[in-house]
Amino acid sequence: MILPLLKGLALTLRRFLNPKTCATELYPEERPKLSTRFRGLPELQIGKDGREKCVACGLCAKVCPSQCISIEGAEDETHRRYPKTYELDAFRCIFCGFCEEACPVRAIILRDTFELATYEKKDVFDKEKLLDLTRKRNLPR
Amino acid sequence: MNIVQLVIDDKPISAPEGTNVFHAAMNNGIYIPGLCYHPKLSQFGGCRLCFVEITERKRTGHRFACAHPVSEGMVVKVNTPRVVRYRKSVMEYLLAHHELSCPTCDKSGECGLQNITYELNLAPGRFRTVRMHYPVIRDNPVLELNRNRCVLCGRCVSTCKEIEGLSAIDFQNRGFKTVVGTAFDRPLECSFCGGCVAVCPTGAWQDRTLGFRGRAWEFTSTPTICPYCSVGCTVVVDTKAGNVRRIVSNDRLGINEGNLCVKGRFGHEFIHSPERLKTPLIRRNGEFSPATWNDALDYVSKRFQEIIQKYGGTSIGGIGSERCTNEDNYLFQKFCRAVLGTNVIDNISNMKSPYLNRLIYQSVVNGIATPFLRELEQANTLFFFGADVTEAHPVIGSMARKAIRLNNANLVIANVRDVQFNSNAKNDVRLFYTLGSQIILINALMKVIIEEGLVDEKKAEAATNHFHELCSALNMVTVSEASQQTGVPEETIRNAARILAKPGRCHIICGKDIEEDPSGEVAVKALLNLCALLNILGNNEDKRASVLFSRSHNNSQGVNDMGVVPEFLPGYLDLNDASHRERVKKIWGRKLPEHVVKEDSVNVIDLMLNGKVKALYVIGENPVMTYPYGKDVREACKKLDFLVVQDAFLTETAQMADVVLPTAIFAEKEGTFTNMGMTVQRLNRALQPAGEARQDWEILCELAKKMGYSFSYLSVKEVLQEIGSLSPIYAGIQYDRLKRKEFRWISSFYDKNPRAPYTFEIIRPPSAAIVKRKDFPYLLLTGASLNHHGSFSRHAKALIAIAPECFVEISRKVAQDAGILNGDTVTIESLQNKIKLKVKVTDRIPEGIVFIPEDYEWVPVNLLRNKIYTPVKIYKETE
Ligand code: SF4
Ligand code: SF4
Ligand code: SF4
Ligand code: SF4
Ligand code: SF4
Repeated sequence: MILPLLKGLALTLRRFLNPKTCATELYPEERPKLSTRFRGLPELQIGKDGREKCVACGLCAKVCPSQCISIEGAEDETHRRYPKTYELDAFRCIFCGFCEEACPVRAIILRDTFELATYEKKDVFDKEKLLDLTRKRNLPR
Repeated sequence: MNIVQLVIDDKPISAPEGTNVFHAAMNNGIYIPGLCYHPKLSQFGGCRLCFVEITERKRTGHRFACAHPVSEGMVVKVNTPRVVRYRKSVMEYLLAHHELSCPTCDKSGECGLQNITYELNLAPGRFRTVRMHYPVIRDNPVLELNRNRCVLCGRCVSTCKEIEGLSAIDFQNRGFKTVVGTAFDRPLECSFCGGCVAVCPTGAWQDRTLGFRGRAWEFTSTPTICPYCSVGCTVVVDTKAGNVRRIVSNDRLGINEGNLCVKGRFGHEFIHSPERLKTPLIRRNGEFSPATWNDALDYVSKRFQEIIQKYGGTSIGGIGSERCTNEDNYLFQKFCRAVLGTNVIDNISNMKSPYLNRLIYQSVVNGIATPFLRELEQANTLFFFGADVTEAHPVIGSMARKAIRLNNANLVIANVRDVQFNSNAKNDVRLFYTLGSQIILINALMKVIIEEGLVDEKKAEAATNHFHELCSALNMVTVSEASQQTGVPEETIRNAARILAKPGRCHIICGKDIEEDPSGEVAVKALLNLCALLNILGNNEDKRASVLFSRSHNNSQGVNDMGVVPEFLPGYLDLNDASHRERVKKIWGRKLPEHVVKEDSVNVIDLMLNGKVKALYVIGENPVMTYPYGKDVREACKKLDFLVVQDAFLTETAQMADVVLPTAIFAEKEGTFTNMGMTVQRLNRALQPAGEARQDWEILCELAKKMGYSFSYLSVKEVLQEIGSLSPIYAGIQYDRLKRKEFRWISSFYDKNPRAPYTFEIIRPPSAAIVKRKDFPYLLLTGASLNHHGSFSRHAKALIAIAPECFVEISRKVAQDAGILNGDTVTIESLQNKIKLKVKVTDRIPEGIVFIPEDYEWVPVNLLRNKIYTPVKIYKETE
């Protein structure tokens, strides 16, 4: 009974003392490898016309269990339905991914943004910020 | 009516014979899916979804519930496997060519099609989908029609025809290409009642004032009362984030069965208008500057006290509001009488026709007043006398059409103009009398009834007083003479009289044209005579006739009930009666000042003109534009030392004021309104007041406190309780109970008082007041307008978009003579003044008359008028 315990401790000690293996992940020096199913901050997607894909249907706001999304729909000159404001309170988001699932036009997707610390208490993500996340991704690298 | 017993889904129910299975099930809380059946419309049978299994006389078969009447011993099964299979395939067909744009469809969440799809658990259908690609029609400011979403249920078509009487839309084409649309696809030109939006089970019809600003499930719905006309429809205010997004109707609430007019449904944008007053304003050196409530009220109370000390309380006048609640108005008259010590109070409707309150109350005492608006739906005969219901009280028109559709009611319309009222009444008699001859016409109608021996003299003797005097007076009238004087053919008069005398319920609706006419008092009395006469007709036992008086604003009745008139205390108690003054003293805890007594002929504006009134306190009213004689009121206001206006907008009157106090509007208020059918209905608060605005009663309480009198009410409930204890007609009213059921004061009046026998008053038509002038050849007639009303509608974007401009209606002949074309701008000049308006040439108006709607509040029609019929001339200005 003692033996397996010691064996285990030995392995731990070996790893711990070896400089190569003592750190599992060198965050923030190294980006972690995220699984493809990782759920980070929901991001608003951009359609072919360069505008938000979202049609302000309100389903994500309805399904969101922490009720952190609020949308004001409006009608533009072409009578298209679009979100005039789209606010996502990242402090409250629990990254469940329901909004992504509910969205009928795949306008909101939880990608790999997870560094959300800010200096401002009320740093709510509004429509432009959420779109910016996608715009940055689309920049040619 | 026989009651039959049947079983639906194992639940035994009873229903009156003739009901269809769908309706019987619905009334008993059993759900049968369906898209085309609507209880307030005639049955159509187009959607085929209400398929049920019915066992009747030992035979089992499948029927459509909406098209099958109930019968004794019937057994109905709503959800057998076969029925469900059928229903699913119907839905599959419907969905196969449906747009399915739910994410962007404003109906989503309250869509009949969506709900049934969900209930039936439908998976993608078996059929090839064929999408239609009709363009969306947006040719008007308030409605949008997306025919790709239409399921051809026919509800909108029926509503437009049966409820609104317009048939502006109908089915076009056949087969697969069938769509709903206007004739020749012309732009929709209708009354924009929005009934189609309300009944459409899908998102084909849309309310454009919503404009994607919210989803059905995001709204907080608050039922309250429409702030425009005196029908008192219940509107449901849908708010999101403290902001009104749309107004909808509810078929099960209130008196209007879900019918509204354009103002009620689409005229809500004024609530969030940027022009709303948000802070009190005080005039300093000629300019308004914002002030705090405390400063403003301090200033008002200081000035009032100064004026009282200098000139006495009676030098302050008060004008109550036809738009504010009963509680506001009650406290207003209490404030004026008890705190300021003045009896110079009035309201615009009473100034226009000062006899009306007395006569209406008289008609109630005699038991010939219509006790409840919806009784119109049971009418067998409808008589619109000088009433333009389509323009003034659209939902009354819908009630009348219901009576015509379901009871085959007869219709008689007497008016100067050929007012529009579409219905499919079998007997539809129109009497176009010449202006000023209305009394002759009523006398002629009575004459015919007596002459043709329709009256049972014994019954008449027993039930009424002075019947013989009436007969002998009418002996002097001859119908043929009357026909000449009124311009109505003799046969038409006789015909109308015979129709009125038919058995059944007869409802007379007395319109504004009669009430506000210079000879209004006599005409109303004559009309009461006619009504009383109809009640004593010989052989028909079931005859009941009653009169309904038009009122114009949402609380025109209430403001008078609350005693904001010089002659009455609340509840039409005589102000000079010692016992009533004693009662007031007991309830108010303060004696009414000695000089608060009824005096003859007190009109606030006249007293202001001759300098007796130095200060005026106006709540929720814009007399500068709505008082009938524009010149008087403008001069009078200029003479004032001090003017306080309490309103939601900076109206023309407020612009002249020294202090303006911002108030809450209907959706931001608690309280009650009394409609023209004397039904007291409760408002519910849906919003917080804009900016620093306050409810009128709160302001009055605060001001009374500053003037050293405690109004210690915590809520409107307490105010209403006091009203109930002071005014006998409101006795027994309870604020909490009003939430569930409205209070009808006429009914409660009859519970306590027997109906007094009617005393005929002999009416002789006054000698013609109309002076024909060569230089001013036409007479001015003003009236109501469908699209505008009061000072709110001018701030409602949708209403302005529908009716941007006031107009003058002239007849074709006049237009030809003066070389005026439809749409020209002309000058209308009277002895007093002139204004410029667009012309509408119509055949609906007699030659000698020009008609201007007076509800476009920004147009100073009152500047033209004088105290009798106003002669005008009309010409095109050549520049
Ligand atoms: S991930 Fe979950 S909690 Fe966060 S926004 Fe989406 S639904 Fe709401
Ligand atoms: S579900 Fe999608 S389309 Fe709908 S509001 Fe949310 S992000 Fe926009
Ligand atoms: S009408 Fe109903 S089913 Fe059709 S798109 Fe609109 S919400 Fe969806
Ligand atoms: S527009 Fe609406 S109400 Fe009219 S037929 Fe089509 S689905 Fe029915
Ligand atoms: S304006 Fe009159 S008829 Fe129209 S909705 Fe309001 S109360 Fe009803």
